[in-house]
Amino acid sequence: MAGLAEATASSGQRRWILIAIVASGIWASITLDLYPALLVPGQGGLAVVTEFFSYALSPVTTYQSKVPEGTKPLAAQALLAAWHTVKFAAAAMGLSLVGGISLGFLSSYSLMIETRRGITRVIGGTIYAIARLTITLMRSIHELLWAVLFLAAFGISQLGAVIALALPCAGILAKIFSELIDETPRHAAHAAEAAGASPIQIYCFILAPQALPNILAYSFYRFECALRSSAVLGFFGYPTLGFYIAASFENLYYGEVWVYLYTLFLLVAAVDLWSGAIRKRLA
Amino acid sequence: MLSGLQLENVGVSFEATRALEDVNLHLEQGEAVALVGLSGAGKTTLLHTCNAMVSPSTGRVLINGQDLSKISSHALKIARINIGFIHQDLSLVPNLRVIQNVVSGRLGRRSLIGGARDLLFPAGDVTERVYDILTSVGIAEKIYERTDHLSGGQQQRVAIARALFQEPQFLLADEPISSVDPVRAEATIALLKTLCAERNITLLMSLHNLKLATTFFPRLVALREGRVVFDKATDTVLPSELEAIFDLTESSPVSEEARDFEDRLGGRFG
Amino acid sequence: MNAMTLPELYRARPRNLVVRGSLMAMLILIAGVWLSGEFLDPQAFTDKRQENVARFLNELRPNPLQSASFDVTLALTWAHSIMQEKGWDALRITLAISFAAITLAGIFGGLLALPAARNLTRSEPFVINRTTCSRMTNLIWSILVGATRLLLIFLRAIPEYVWAFLLLALLGPTAWPAVLALALHNTGVFGKLAAEVIEDLPAGPLRSMTGMGASRLQVAAFTILPLTLPRLLLFFFYRWETCVREATVLGMLGIVSLGFWIQDARARNFYDEMFFLILLGALIVLLGEVISTWARWHVRRAS
Repeated sequence: MAGLAEATASSGQRRWILIAIVASGIWASITLDLYPALLVPGQGGLAVVTEFFSYALSPVTTYQSKVPEGTKPLAAQALLAAWHTVKFAAAAMGLSLVGGISLGFLSSYSLMIETRRGITRVIGGTIYAIARLTITLMRSIHELLWAVLFLAAFGISQLGAVIALALPCAGILAKIFSELIDETPRHAAHAAEAAGASPIQIYCFILAPQALPNILAYSFYRFECALRSSAVLGFFGYPTLGFYIAASFENLYYGEVWVYLYTLFLLVAAVDLWSGAIRKRLA
Repeated sequence: MLSGLQLENVGVSFEATRALEDVNLHLEQGEAVALVGLSGAGKTTLLHTCNAMVSPSTGRVLINGQDLSKISSHALKIARINIGFIHQDLSLVPNLRVIQNVVSGRLGRRSLIGGARDLLFPAGDVTERVYDILTSVGIAEKIYERTDHLSGGQQQRVAIARALFQEPQFLLADEPISSVDPVRAEATIALLKTLCAERNITLLMSLHNLKLATTFFPRLVALREGRVVFDKATDTVLPSELEAIFDLTESSPVSEEARDFEDRLGGRFG
Repeated sequence: MNAMTLPELYRARPRNLVVRGSLMAMLILIAGVWLSGEFLDPQAFTDKRQENVARFLNELRPNPLQSASFDVTLALTWAHSIMQEKGWDALRITLAISFAAITLAGIFGGLLALPAARNLTRSEPFVINRTTCSRMTNLIWSILVGATRLLLIFLRAIPEYVWAFLLLALLGPTAWPAVLALALHNTGVFGKLAAEVIEDLPAGPLRSMTGMGASRLQVAAFTILPLTLPRLLLFFFYRWETCVREATVLGMLGIVSLGFWIQDARARNFYDEMFFLILLGALIVLLGEVISTWARWHVRRAS
């Protein structure tokens, strides 16, 4: 950074940004009637809150509800729900990776535009534009909204739920993939071009390997996000952890709720630690 | 039709600067020539013009009689397969293994599937050939190491191996000893010369170390501010001529823009 | 010098077992889930299904247009009436929720990042030689770091939707459940990101402050904050964009953001309105992304 004038200007810009943030926060509180007083629940509410949080430190190990004979123990139920959550997320990841890589190809500036000339460049540019548009549409609609759309169209369907999870995920993956490859330094690519390699060869064997560590790291992060979204799908009736959280809560069995909450926490935390370990070894 | 590498009245402009002006050069098949001059004098630009990575604004470049600017991009690709290039910044893929970087030099001759095969599951004879080339440059035991785990000098030798694996007819080397210590530098240049002589490869190498240039190369081409100052056999060059190329007291030194252009081509600033 | 033969070199090549193993495990899991067939719906493409889908797609078109032919003015009046009734309000509320939530998350996430940063939360921060403090003191500091990190992980792990669901029942129908749900989750995210930024700081300037006798809090306020601010602002805007996205959806639980009206339209089988509002949601998410990108570009330029 050269010059006092520039330094002052940049800190001035930062000050404006901070002011804008504070102002928007104040506007938001007014619009929403966010009085701190409303945080304090009334008489009855207070009892519910205390009861709910009391179970946080002493979750139950058996069902609080009345269950028919032969129902599997609570712990097994929780683990099974966790397993369903993983299955939905994994299925969605499979679709997302396939879709993300394909669309990442088609929406990559490096492959569609950069190394092409003449008529192929025009064709590449059109494909690029269409792919970008599709990706933007896919990822702007929240996965739960896709789920609502599919629910209205097909009714409850496990395939529909998985596709709903996969669509925005594929869009985000495609965007990140193409950006990572477009931002790779071009030295090795120029060297390959000078040795007579074709654009696709350069893309697959020079650019993609350089971006691969970041791509892998991000994909594992996306799997963690998919797990959370998969859990939430349970609120819509699918057999993931969200379903059991909602059911137990509505029946006021707070002890069970905390069992499922902790299961979800352990699941996500485990995957988070795992992807962190991978990221460290990829760097 | 002349064989070998030929530059006819080549001029290269970049924005306002004139990087090369009126360059005439002819190399016969199998010759070894050193390109000397200050940084920014145009050595990197000249080398990049030889394989059409930089287009000349005037004049033409001929490889074995073929004008590189007049041929289709497919024919250009074929021509480039025959031209090896060792870049100033090496331009290796850092997280690939050494063997994978070396085989990437031959991608031009392979199909998409073939290239994938070479990179992921190389056939036995491919591996053997890579091992042999790495042995001749002296880093055979590093064949499966990650390229960014090697030292600068070792990586330089990987770049050399990659160019040799390409089996080109022409080898263009841009300051191939910049990150190598002086003792190694001599050995590296001697090695390159020997390997090129064995395979009858035309070698054009840019150096700013005059001593090495005069020791190893029978012919010197000197550049100053984009022009060829002289082009003759090393034993006919006078010491005063050598001093003249590097003289900084002249009224028109190398311009800032020319040096920036060279640096960017050479990859020093990405 | 024992020279290894080529096959020996191959066997001894450096391999990243953790990464490879994890990749294999993931691919096996994904392949297994799909091959088990439970997600393959044999009824997905029957004739009756296709009829239903065709009918549904027709119902997505604006109601006035479904019987009549395409008329731009009719479509616009229909769209306008939806916006007047609920659209603009829903947008306002959705945006407001996102602003309030990210501001809270920024403040509390930033505060929690301090005890979560390992280079700050130890017995003698930034001191080069090992400490003279007792093992007990060190243990207490470690517990503090660990506990904070655990809390941040917990806040992060529970999805915003789940938080909102729980808080709605506990706090009643105000805007707080949505705001707090987003704020809690993003405090976890932002806190972790901020802690990593703090830990990545070069020790030099921090060490000099400590050498002058500043306490941890003073170092934090006067050195850490200015140094980390640009990167924190980048994360801040990036998470705001996510908050906009989630805020649209939280409405489905009953807070009157966009999601509420979407669910409402679905319940009443007004699929055309539902589709219009979903697209509106996509639009505001895109808008959020544009603003966020612009803001982050400005932050980068300013540093």
